[in-house]
Amino acid sequence: MGTGAAAAAERPKQAQRRGGHLWKRALLHFSLCFVMGFFTGFAPSSSSSWRSSAGGGGGLHPHGDQLAASRVAVNSDQHLRLPPPSPEGSAAAGGGGATVDLDDDEEEGRGPRRMLIVVTTTRGGGEERRRRRPELLRLAHTLRLVRPPVVWVVVEPAADAPATAEVLRGTGVMYRHLAFRPEENFTTAAAEAHAQRNAALAHVEKHRLSGVLHFADAAGVYDARFFDEIRQIEAFGTWPVATMSAGEKKVVVEGPLCSASKVVGWFSRNFNDGTTRTVTYNTEADLNPAGAAGTRAHTIDVSGFAFNSSILWDPERWGRPTSLPDTSQDSIKFVQEVVLEDRNKLKGIPSDCSQIMVWQYTVPSPIPLKKSPPKTHHRR
Amino acid sequence: MARWGLAAIAVLVAAAALFVAAEAQAAQQGHQTERISGSAGDVLDDNPVGRLKVYIYDLPGKYNKKLLKKDPRCLNHMFAAEIFMHRFLLSSAVRTFNPEEADWFYTPVYATCDLTPSGLPLPFKSPRMVRSAIQLIAEKWPYWNRSEGADHFFVAPHDFGACFHYQEEKAIGRGILPLLQRATLVQTFGQKNHVCLKDGSITIPPYAPPQKMQNHLIPGDTPRSIFVYFRGLFYDTSNDPEGGYYARGARASVWENFKNNPLFDISTDHPPTYYEDMQRSVFCLCPLGWAPWSPRLVEAVVFGCIPVIIADDIVLPFADAIPWEDIGVFVSEDDVPKLDSILTSIPTDVILRKQRLLANPSMKQAMLFPQPAEAGDAFHQILNGLARKLPHGENVFLKPGQKVLNWTAGPVGDLKPW
Amino acid sequence: MMKSLLPQSQLRRSAAAASAAAARSSGGGAEGAASDGGAGAGARAASSSTFWFLLHALCCFISLFLGFRFSRLLFFLLFSSSALYAASNNKSAAVLRAITTTTTTTTTTTTTTNTFTLSFAAAGNPPPSNPDNYTALDAAGDAATSGSTQSHVVVGRHGIRIRPWPHPDPVEVMRAHRIMERVQEEQRRWYGIREPRQVLVVTPTYSRAFQALHLTGLLHSLRNVPYPLTWLVVEAGGTTNGTASLLARSGLTFVHIPFPDRMPLEWADRHATENSMRLHALRVIRERKMDGVVVFADDSNVHSMELFDEVQKVQWMAAVSVGILAHTGTAEQPRLSEEDKQNMPLPVQGPACNSSGHLAGWHTFNSLPFSGKTATVVGEAAPVLPRGLEWAGFVLNSRMLWKEAEGKPDWVKDLDAVGENGEEIENPLTLLNDPSFVEPLGNCGKKILLWWLRVEARADSKFPQGWVIDPPLEVVIPAKRTPWPETTTELSSELSGAKQEQEDRRLTRTS
Repeated sequence: MGTGAAAAAERPKQAQRRGGHLWKRALLHFSLCFVMGFFTGFAPSSSSSWRSSAGGGGGLHPHGDQLAASRVAVNSDQHLRLPPPSPEGSAAAGGGGATVDLDDDEEEGRGPRRMLIVVTTTRGGGEERRRRRPELLRLAHTLRLVRPPVVWVVVEPAADAPATAEVLRGTGVMYRHLAFRPEENFTTAAAEAHAQRNAALAHVEKHRLSGVLHFADAAGVYDARFFDEIRQIEAFGTWPVATMSAGEKKVVVEGPLCSASKVVGWFSRNFNDGTTRTVTYNTEADLNPAGAAGTRAHTIDVSGFAFNSSILWDPERWGRPTSLPDTSQDSIKFVQEVVLEDRNKLKGIPSDCSQIMVWQYTVPSPIPLKKSPPKTHHRR
Repeated sequence: MARWGLAAIAVLVAAAALFVAAEAQAAQQGHQTERISGSAGDVLDDNPVGRLKVYIYDLPGKYNKKLLKKDPRCLNHMFAAEIFMHRFLLSSAVRTFNPEEADWFYTPVYATCDLTPSGLPLPFKSPRMVRSAIQLIAEKWPYWNRSEGADHFFVAPHDFGACFHYQEEKAIGRGILPLLQRATLVQTFGQKNHVCLKDGSITIPPYAPPQKMQNHLIPGDTPRSIFVYFRGLFYDTSNDPEGGYYARGARASVWENFKNNPLFDISTDHPPTYYEDMQRSVFCLCPLGWAPWSPRLVEAVVFGCIPVIIADDIVLPFADAIPWEDIGVFVSEDDVPKLDSILTSIPTDVILRKQRLLANPSMKQAMLFPQPAEAGDAFHQILNGLARKLPHGENVFLKPGQKVLNWTAGPVGDLKPW
Repeated sequence: MMKSLLPQSQLRRSAAAASAAAARSSGGGAEGAASDGGAGAGARAASSSTFWFLLHALCCFISLFLGFRFSRLLFFLLFSSSALYAASNNKSAAVLRAITTTTTTTTTTTTTTNTFTLSFAAAGNPPPSNPDNYTALDAAGDAATSGSTQSHVVVGRHGIRIRPWPHPDPVEVMRAHRIMERVQEEQRRWYGIREPRQVLVVTPTYSRAFQALHLTGLLHSLRNVPYPLTWLVVEAGGTTNGTASLLARSGLTFVHIPFPDRMPLEWADRHATENSMRLHALRVIRERKMDGVVVFADDSNVHSMELFDEVQKVQWMAAVSVGILAHTGTAEQPRLSEEDKQNMPLPVQGPACNSSGHLAGWHTFNSLPFSGKTATVVGEAAPVLPRGLEWAGFVLNSRMLWKEAEGKPDWVKDLDAVGENGEEIENPLTLLNDPSFVEPLGNCGKKILLWWLRVEARADSKFPQGWVIDPPLEVVIPAKRTPWPETTTELSSELSGAKQEQEDRRLTRTS
């Protein structure tokens, strides 16, 4: 600072010699430079968030900009032994493994892909437990093929979790494994699954994970295209599901009746005894709120729908009274009701709801938790 | 007119000088974290044997073994390094039984082995304990008074090192125990320009159970499918009900900004698969807590997860040997809200290189205190650090009759006998 | 000295170097001007004009630098205010209050730091769980620090920095996924097999109710295999459009081979048919001299990815352990105590090793609990059990099938000599003269690498063609709920069941 003042004091002598216009020109230059610097200051703000200071190369970064991963040296001494060398030979490992294509966002031009939250619940019990490993693996292989972002939430009784964790780890799917510690003993498999689903929803709600949420049973088989379809869901979506039983002559498809993606009713069709049951919405009753309330006791099976998870914490956004959202623990019931009620927001998948992309099967098993068929699907 | 122009130039130049000064200072600070020199591999593989000799004072059991007998939990907490260091030195090749030929003197006091019923080490008695030990060695042996501790080292792995208080403000108020002013401290605490970090201290990693970690190793080809992982507290509501003190608000910021981001697997629950999950994560957050360090740093390195260090001006363990800049990512506390942008904008090649460096076994070894000790482990790195300080400078040994330490300094409570 | 400094100052890039040089050179410039002025006269006019020019350039540079710094400051202010707007867009109810610009001075024993803080509150944006839902952004940061012994870390309360713009950014999410993809790829490169062989997957199949389900599951697994792969699908009763379109959609390299015979109903016959279908595929491999590792994957098998790593190790023929998921039949089936069920280990079929890691024998499936209860027809309401050794538990080097191959051991039979007289090929061991050469894989068979499960509907089960419901169903009765009974709440299901009967009408269709 002192030097600056000294410089200023000496200036007049030169000024006398050179004349006034020179000063104007100099000032003009200075101000031009100032403006130039001013604008360059705006330019590199994005690149400054990542800066590698190789060799202390720094840059004109203000103190506050020391951010970022800044001080990471990129080039460095080669003395460190880099463990496994990676020769080109294995680059031919071609086949590529899960060839998840990540790069076609731009081509689609549809903006970013919505996140998928796939929730899988598992039950205790010997037979179930034995089948869990292969079933989870099969579902994981399918999910691995779904284009990201996908997060897989696996809920499981805490006691069984370590063994399953090992299976999940190997799959490479981005998953969250929730160990489930129930307060009560469940008398039915349905009650257990129900409680687990609520545990998963509690996680999603706590973390405000926003995306399309679907309960995928490990015993189900999904066409990989299915997940791309449900990504299109804005609020709620539903589709036909085929259910089959091992050793029986029974193939039942249940799902929505659709007309141009709009759900106009529901059907259940048994292909072997040839029966079909359908119900449709009555437009008049639909407009009557009292009528709607009266039918709320019914729910839609979880394997047949997906919904935008933000309904859990932001019901207002979906045009629902704020008083309604689940203050209770029973989030899944709440969602099921909402899905049935707000059928204007319900999207049929695929558009005419005729393609089956989800299969469920039941295997007879002699360990009845109760008298009814103990498998995951309780429909008949 | 010309005068006016001159004044403008003067202002310009003055302002520039001001900025330049600030800049120079910032640059200077930035450079302090950089490694001194050399290649990590070489320094980490140094063998301290033959380069120094350590004499271990034979203290009564009440300073060490009896404490441990009273509460064996001391062996398992983050500060257990002080116990294992003692055990290691007892059978180490650098140990000498002849104090005359010793380069370094070690006083085995387990200052943090005093746990609350719930297992928290609170160092209320530590100052008196250490003081009592020093009084003892000063009376019994001539070596303390010869240098007033300048050729002695103490292991002080507590939150704020030898300030011996768990709250930072109190710790700063206390300062380093007066009797340890000249000694070399081996401590976990590392915060640049902090009252509790003495120049010349050796910063070590906290103790993390090596055997337990070994048991949880999973195959290296387990695909890394978590982008960012963190388990631990975000708010310490019992000690910091107001929020904003704990972790200087950085952890709370992590939670508030990223709990809704599926890429951030962050939570307060500690799952049984904690160690395995770190091994399938790309980045592991290592934010400060009450002190700048946490065991996560060790865990991240051992499990090959790139540590994301969020602790401004942290001094990292063995910073002269481990290329922290190359293996980790440093994010300033103020930039926590931009963490996602920062991490996703790191070029993949850089990430892969960091992972390769992390896979280097000597890096992992330096972070651990294995039983029995192994070549290149943290014990050896401590000895390397001590060896690098040799030969002792001129100011280590006092002239006959010269006194530097003030034995009556410090809070009255600390002066009570132990 | 000055001359050496000035060019340097024009070239500088690094902040530290630049600052120091700038400070010194401006001082030098002033001195130079003073001495120049003192000398007076025009004798050194030329040199003084050069100097004047340099001074001018220097000042220009300083202006540039100042402008840069100034814009950064301005940029920051602009930036935080735009963030405010982002917050307000987020919620209509959000009230925006720019509070005050406070200057706080925090004193610690070592440092005196003046922090210039700009705080504002974005009401309603952060969730209610957080009591400190305000945002504090340090504006001019640590500008005021001075002295060299200072740390800019402040002891005391810090704001919780919350950014008001929405998370997560989809572009960044995709970038992160790309990073993870690369990391995993690199992991495969480090730990994976160096020069992988092609995997030749042999799958017998036929058109039936469970086909789409099983085949979809299998093809998803195969798509995850990180090695070059060719899928040989042999279809009983000739190729069908359904199977063909499924294969076409898979994106895998496949060979769809028709097999003339239809799949028989009886399990024993079916087993034989499947075996000859596999043999048929092996002959295709022999004819085309396909090179690789042959894996027998039934469409109802579930595979772990580890299997495909393990099979790369095969020399000639190897065996892996198969977990048998035989369901225990219907409720009237063998009564095992609850405890037995829980503890019953997963039945495994596979190689057994001796202590030196060589094949010592075979674990076979214990069918005792199923005695007398097994199905003869696949799809019967009773378990179908595996036969002896399942093909799925074997892998082989395709070269052993070739007519001539280098190093082909003499304990391998020629494929033409196998099954030529119509005798049944029970398992791949029939391809060998000496089965003791089989290599045990998967940690000597200790690791289960795939699962065998026969879940089929009854053979006469009908299902929609291509799983498309056609024609679309017509609309029948107005109602506002699903026609099937409530499932999650037991009580209401009973109640509704009764009501349902009245309201729903059954419509019989003749499809």
